[in-house]
Amino acid sequence: MTGLKLSVSAIALALSFGAVNAADVKSIAVLTPEQGTDFGWNQQGVDAAKAAGEKTGVEVVVAEGLGYGDVRPTLRELAADGVGLMIAHASGYNTAAPEIAEETKVPVAIVDTPTGLKPGLVADYTLSGHEGAYLAGRLAAKVTRTGTVGVVVSGEPPSWNSQSAGFAEGVKAENPNVKIRYAVIGPAAYADAAGGKRVTESVIAAGADVIFGQGNGSSFGMLQAVETTPATDGGKVWFIDVIGDKSSLDKGNLLTSVVWDMTPVYVAMIEDLKADTFGTKSYAIGLADGSVKLLETKNLPADKWAEVMALKDEMIAGKITVTPEFDAAKVRAMMTDVAAP
Amino acid sequence: MQGLLTDAFLTSLVFGAISAGIPLLLAGLGEQLSEKAGVLNIGIEGMMLAGAYVGFVAAFYSSSLWLGFAGGAAGGAAVALVMALLCVRHGLNQIVVGIALTLGVEGLTALLHHFQFGRTYPRLDAATSLPIPVLSELPILGPALFDRHPIVYGAIAMVAVMAFVYRRTNLGLDLQAAGDQPAALDVAGVDVVTTRTAAVIATGVMAGVGGAFMANIGAGLFIPFMTGGAGFIGIVLAMLARGRPLWVLAGALIFGACLSMTTALQVAGVNIPTDVIQMLPFAAVMAVLVIFGRRASLPAALGLPYVRGAR
Repeated sequence: MTGLKLSVSAIALALSFGAVNAADVKSIAVLTPEQGTDFGWNQQGVDAAKAAGEKTGVEVVVAEGLGYGDVRPTLRELAADGVGLMIAHASGYNTAAPEIAEETKVPVAIVDTPTGLKPGLVADYTLSGHEGAYLAGRLAAKVTRTGTVGVVVSGEPPSWNSQSAGFAEGVKAENPNVKIRYAVIGPAAYADAAGGKRVTESVIAAGADVIFGQGNGSSFGMLQAVETTPATDGGKVWFIDVIGDKSSLDKGNLLTSVVWDMTPVYVAMIEDLKADTFGTKSYAIGLADGSVKLLETKNLPADKWAEVMALKDEMIAGKITVTPEFDAAKVRAMMTDVAAP
Repeated sequence: MQGLLTDAFLTSLVFGAISAGIPLLLAGLGEQLSEKAGVLNIGIEGMMLAGAYVGFVAAFYSSSLWLGFAGGAAGGAAVALVMALLCVRHGLNQIVVGIALTLGVEGLTALLHHFQFGRTYPRLDAATSLPIPVLSELPILGPALFDRHPIVYGAIAMVAVMAFVYRRTNLGLDLQAAGDQPAALDVAGVDVVTTRTAAVIATGVMAGVGGAFMANIGAGLFIPFMTGGAGFIGIVLAMLARGRPLWVLAGALIFGACLSMTTALQVAGVNIPTDVIQMLPFAAVMAVLVIFGRRASLPAALGLPYVRGAR
């Protein structure tokens, strides 16, 4: 009987301790492989974490430019500093981060691992801007002169696969005769700017006059390629970026971007931590709440933009639906054989 | 597929192969020189990255690609000087120092880029080329091989220069002896430490120019971590080529050609796993060099510090 009382007391103490921990999220950390000024994945992650911290009254520690190597020492250091959540903002961190979460009992959020959820400890935010990418595909098919568009990616993580697939569906829905050329720079060539330029030049030489590029640092190489390489018809090559807004760097080739805002996701994570529901569900972004949107640039023809915005309204109303496709093999197959949704 | 095989597309593939191969060629030749002298230069990745950063900064502010390459050479040489001081002069472990230098340069260049260009990401104009009369008019190969920036011709010429130095000069003999029999070289009155130091710094110069090529011509900009292991591939090429500059060239070109082939297969819509396609360059280089480079050998004193009188 005494043993039972002790066990009950221990469980109650553990629960109350957990509840105190959960309610006391005072700081979170975001870890990024490149600097949070890349006008893309890393910057959106850092900016969103700061915005989420501001909204929820939580301090945000930024650990940026950590590279793609072993991030365990940084995770341990942040855990020792007492942060309540570590957002490991790179698919390359999704092995190390759960290990450190187990070791330190500090919750982590990882990407591209939807099956890796562990209640209270590991959450996944495999986000998909496929709805925005679909609209970008519709726009690309409207503006192409050569009848060929290109998709250049610096890897095949699930988030980008779903956007490549969404883009392809959009292109085919707008004009089934438009060809799509798809090329991957490397297995994880996120910072390979030279590779980005080289591959994009080849895709342009294969006839593409619109490039849908997904690539972190390597996307600057893609941008350089479209700026310095004419299309096969001698005209300008358009670039469609993802995640961030590179308008301030544009030399006249940026058509649009599928912009993400991860703030709602991070806010939801912090709230889940406080409510003890962290690691029990997946997070999403989309057109409806503005966490995914197409960037309006000065290069966009007004009539095409209006048409695409009308399509966006139809998507939000549920008249057009696009199912995310995360599998790389299926995405590659879609590039040669894709049907309109 | 047939509609895809236009002159423009094929030219871009050959052009891309050369662009991808040149930094590897320079890194591989540099590593080979260092290894000849007995220094396993694991820090070559850091030297390339330093060359890429300093080379880009110099080219950007001076608007001169040549000054950019000079800056790249200086950047690579500066990192090599540290390597030479620690490993050749003080006999520290070459692998540990090489890795530490690479990590240090990665962090330093990322930090400098962040403060200097993190909000602007400046990009250089396209490099001007020096067409070689007649040859540059050839279909497909002409524009890709003979209408390039002079640094491309210079890099390929370095293969002949290095082969000549190794086979026909006393300097080549000194380098060989520093790597194989450093004590014998010492007895012959040639300073082993000076010979190795010069070799390591020359390696830094070549790797730095390779990095500057990658930033200024390959990409037209600098991005942190942009070398992405090219220096390590250079080490592999040098190891497999085992002292023969021509084999470094062959390996670098095979690697570049396979990279272009992977792009071609993907653009053609060949639906096999990308990882399999992208193994091609590595598998091809290893297969060719292992088959044809078997009889050559690595220097006997490679990786060992030289201390006069030590046994």
